[in-house]
Amino acid sequence: MSGTGHTVKSYEEEMQSLNDNLVMMGSLTESQMADAMAAVIKVDKDSVDKIVKNDGKINELRSVIDNQITTVLVKRAPMAVDLRITISTMKISHDLERIGDLAKSVAKKVKPLPVDLPDELIGSLRRLGDLVQKQLKDALDAYLNKSKDKAIEIWKKDEQVDDLTNLAMNEVATYLQKDKKNLEMATHLLFVTKNIERAGDHITNIAESLYYLIEGEYLEGARPKGKPIES
Amino acid sequence: MELNNSKIKIKAKNLNVFYGKKQALFDINLDINQKEVTALIGPSGCGKSTFIRCINRMNDVIDICKVEGSVEIDGAEINEKNVDVVTLREKVGMVFQKPNPFPKSIYDNIAYGPIIHGAAENKDQMDNIVETSLKKAALWDEVKDRLNEPGTSLSGGQQQRLCIARALSVNPEVILMDEPCSALDPIATAKIEELIDDLKKSYTIVIVTHSMAQAVRVSQKTGFFHLGKIIEVDSTEKIFKNPANKMTQDYITGRFG
Amino acid sequence: MTKEQRLKKRYRAEKRFKMYGLISVSLAVIFVLILVQNIFSKGSSAFSRTMIEVEVNYDSSLLELDSPINQNSLKDADFYDLAVESLLKIYPAKDSKEERQILRLFSPDYEFEIKDFLIKNPNKIDQVVPVKITASDDIDQLNKGNFPRDLPEDRRRVSNYQLNIYDNLVEKEKINKKFNNYLFTKGDSRDPELAGIGGSLMGSFFTIIICLILSFPIAIMASIYLEEFAPKNKITDFIEININNLAAVPSIVYGLLGLGILLSVMEFPRSTPLVAGITLSLMTLPRIIIPCRASLKAVPPSIREAALSVGASKFQTVFHHVVPLAMPGTLSGTIIGLAQALGETAPLILIGMVAFVVDIPSSPVDPSASLPVQVYLWSEQAERGFVEKTSATIMMLLGFLIVMNFIAVYLRQKFEKKWN
Repeated sequence: MSGTGHTVKSYEEEMQSLNDNLVMMGSLTESQMADAMAAVIKVDKDSVDKIVKNDGKINELRSVIDNQITTVLVKRAPMAVDLRITISTMKISHDLERIGDLAKSVAKKVKPLPVDLPDELIGSLRRLGDLVQKQLKDALDAYLNKSKDKAIEIWKKDEQVDDLTNLAMNEVATYLQKDKKNLEMATHLLFVTKNIERAGDHITNIAESLYYLIEGEYLEGARPKGKPIES
Repeated sequence: MELNNSKIKIKAKNLNVFYGKKQALFDINLDINQKEVTALIGPSGCGKSTFIRCINRMNDVIDICKVEGSVEIDGAEINEKNVDVVTLREKVGMVFQKPNPFPKSIYDNIAYGPIIHGAAENKDQMDNIVETSLKKAALWDEVKDRLNEPGTSLSGGQQQRLCIARALSVNPEVILMDEPCSALDPIATAKIEELIDDLKKSYTIVIVTHSMAQAVRVSQKTGFFHLGKIIEVDSTEKIFKNPANKMTQDYITGRFG
Repeated sequence: MTKEQRLKKRYRAEKRFKMYGLISVSLAVIFVLILVQNIFSKGSSAFSRTMIEVEVNYDSSLLELDSPINQNSLKDADFYDLAVESLLKIYPAKDSKEERQILRLFSPDYEFEIKDFLIKNPNKIDQVVPVKITASDDIDQLNKGNFPRDLPEDRRRVSNYQLNIYDNLVEKEKINKKFNNYLFTKGDSRDPELAGIGGSLMGSFFTIIICLILSFPIAIMASIYLEEFAPKNKITDFIEININNLAAVPSIVYGLLGLGILLSVMEFPRSTPLVAGITLSLMTLPRIIIPCRASLKAVPPSIREAALSVGASKFQTVFHHVVPLAMPGTLSGTIIGLAQALGETAPLILIGMVAFVVDIPSSPVDPSASLPVQVYLWSEQAERGFVEKTSATIMMLLGFLIVMNFIAVYLRQKFEKKWN
C-alpha cells in the first residue's frame, strides 16, 4: 500500500507473511474449486478423495492466518491501512475457507451421481462453474493488484452468478418433473448448484473486504441479486 | 461522526511561531470544538507542544519566541497586547508532561490558584474549592485524610491528578494537556484517561500525546502535526481508520523516516 | 595479550588507582592532623592563667578614703601603696632591686585586681584577705612548663631570686591555675598575660554583621533580577562575566579599593568594622551572587510553569515559588561567603585594622581589630605568651568557620525541598 515499509522490519515481515499465506490459500482454493467442478462435469469419482483431503490444507492455512492476525493485533496494534489489511485478511481467509468447504461438498456429491450424466442437465451448471471460477480468479488477481475497479466489477457480476444458478436449478427441476425416479440424482445436483452459488456469494464478500481494504469504506448500496427461483 | 454540530471554542488562524530565527509553526489553522477532546499527534519537535502553549500564551515566557497570527477563544483574540495573560491562564489551564506539584502540601497545591485570583473569601470557601477540585480530579477519596502531606509524597499518577485538580481549581474553560501520561504506568494512565472522559463533559480539552492508542481512546478529533505544519485534522475515527493524507498514514502505521 | 591477561591488567590498574587515592587522602589527613595538633598543643595552654595567692591587708588608712566609704569612693581611691605593701610581703627582699623583682612576678595590673576585689567585696575593708593575682607572663610560662630553668641566669628572663620565690610559693601552694577569662574579655595588650581577643572578636562580629547587611540583600536582589527578570542580551552577558571575574579578584585589591575610596575619598573612620564590613561586602558580593544564581537556576522550570499555568504573574511565580525553593542554597552560599570574609586578612590590613587597639569596640565605628588580623599581629610578637595566644585565636577562628559551615550544611539539608 505504502511506498515506504514499516520502520520496524519484523512488522513488515509479519505483514508480508500474512499476505503470502493468504495468496497461497487463494490459489489452493482456486484449484480445489477447479478440481471439484471438473469432477462434477466428468463424474470423476476417483478424484473425490484427493479433493476432500486437500481441503485439510486450506483449513490449516486458515488457522495459521488466524493465529498470525491475533499476533499482529496484540503486538502491533495496527492502525489505518494496517488495521484494514489485518481485518480484511481475516475476513477473506474465512471466506476462502468456506469456499474450500463448499468445493469439498460439491466433490462429495459426485460419488452418488450416475456416470452417464445427461448433457442437458449440466450445461448451465458448467457455465455457472466456469463463471464462479473466473470470479474467484479475478478476486485473487484484484487482491494481488489491490484493484478497486476489479473488486467492484466482481461485486456487480454476482448478479450473473445468481441468474445462472436460477437457470441451472430450473434445468434440474425440469428434468425432475420428467421422471420421479430422478429424484435422488436431481437433489444432489441441486445441492451442487446451490453450493456453487454460495461460493459465489463468498467471492462477493471477498470483493467487499477488498474494497474496504483499499478504500477504507464499505461498498455502498444493496447487494446485486438475481431473480428468485421460479417455482 | 459529524464535526459541524459542535460549537468552535478555539480558533487558530494563520498562526506562525518563531524561536529566534527558526520557525516552529507554519500557518496553523485549527478549530477546536467545545466540550470535546482534541488530540494532537506527530513526531517529536513537530510543534504540537508549541501550538498548545500558544493557547495559554506560555510562550510569552520564552524571550526569543515570537508569535504571529491569531488565536481566538470564544471569538476573542488572545494575542492582543491588552489581553491579560493572568486572566487568560485562569481560563485556560495546563497540565504538563511531568507531574509538577509545588513542594507544598496537597491542600496548598490546590489553594494556590484560588488564592492569587482571590477566589475564596474565607477558609470554608477555600476548603470547598479544594474538595470540589480534588473530587473532579477523582483524587479526593485517596487524599482526603492527608491534605497536609506534601504533594510530592503522592505516587506519579496521583501527582498528575493533583496537577489536574490544581488546574481545575481556578475554574478554567479549557484544559491543555502536554503528554500528561508519558511519565505514568498503564494503570495510572487509565485513570487519567477515565478522568479525561469525565472532564470533557464540562471542559474543552486539548491533549498532546505520543501514544496513538491514547489519542484514539480519549479524543473525538485528531490533528497531525509534522515539521511545524498541520498535515491533517479530522475525526479521530477517520484519522486512525482511514487517513486522507499519506504522511498521516505513514506516521500512524509506523512507516516514518 | 589474552583476554585473561587484559582483565588482570585492568584489575591491577584499578587497584593501583585506589591505592594512589588512598595515599593522597591519608597524606591530606596527616597534614590536617599535624596542623590541628600543632595549634592545639600550642594553643590549649592559653585557656588557663597562673594566679598567685597573696594575703592582702585592706588597710583603709593606706587608701586615704573620703568618708563615707562606698563604691564610688573605692573606685577613685589609689590602691598602689596598699598593693605594693601586700605583694612585697610574700618574700623577704634585701633591697629595692629585689623588691622590683618581686613585683615583676605579678602582671602589671595587680593594683587593679586588688582594687576590683575590694569593690566586689566592700565588707572586707580593714581585713586581711587572700586574693588571687594574675602572675606575669614569665611566671605563667614557668608554671605551664614552657620555661627552660637549666639555662644560665643571664640568659633567662627569670632570675634565680625569682625562681626561689616561685619554688617557695609552689611549696606553700600559693600558685594555682584558673580558666583564662581574660582571653575573651580583654582587648589587646603589650603584656601577653593580659591580652585577649575580646576586642577582635567584637570587631569581627561587627564586620560580619555589616558585611551581611550590605551584601545579602544586594546579592539576592541582583541574582533574582539577573536570573529571572533580566533580558538575555549582551549587557547581561557582560555583567555575568564581570561577576565571575570579580569573584576571582584577589582580596587585597578590595583592600586597596577600601583604602582608596572609603578612607581617602569618603574619609570614613580608619580601622573600623564599618569600613572593614563595606570592603569585605564588596569582595563577598560576587561570591554570594554566584551560588545564589546557581540555586535559583537549580529550581526546575516545571515549578515555574506550574505557577504560571494557574495564572500567577512572573513576579508571583518568582517570589512565591522560585525564591523560597532556592532559599536553602542561597543561605548556605551566603554563609560560606561570609565565612570566607571572616577569615580575610589582607584587605583589613590595608584599611588599617592592623592598628594596636586596646579598647573593646562598642560600635562599628570604633577602631578595632579582627580575629585574622589579631593572629597576624600576635604571630609577630616574641613573647612565649603570644605564641599560645596566636594558636588560641586560630582555634577560635577555625571554630567559628566550622560552626558557620555546619550551619550552612544544616540549612541546606533541613530546608531543601524535594521535587522530582
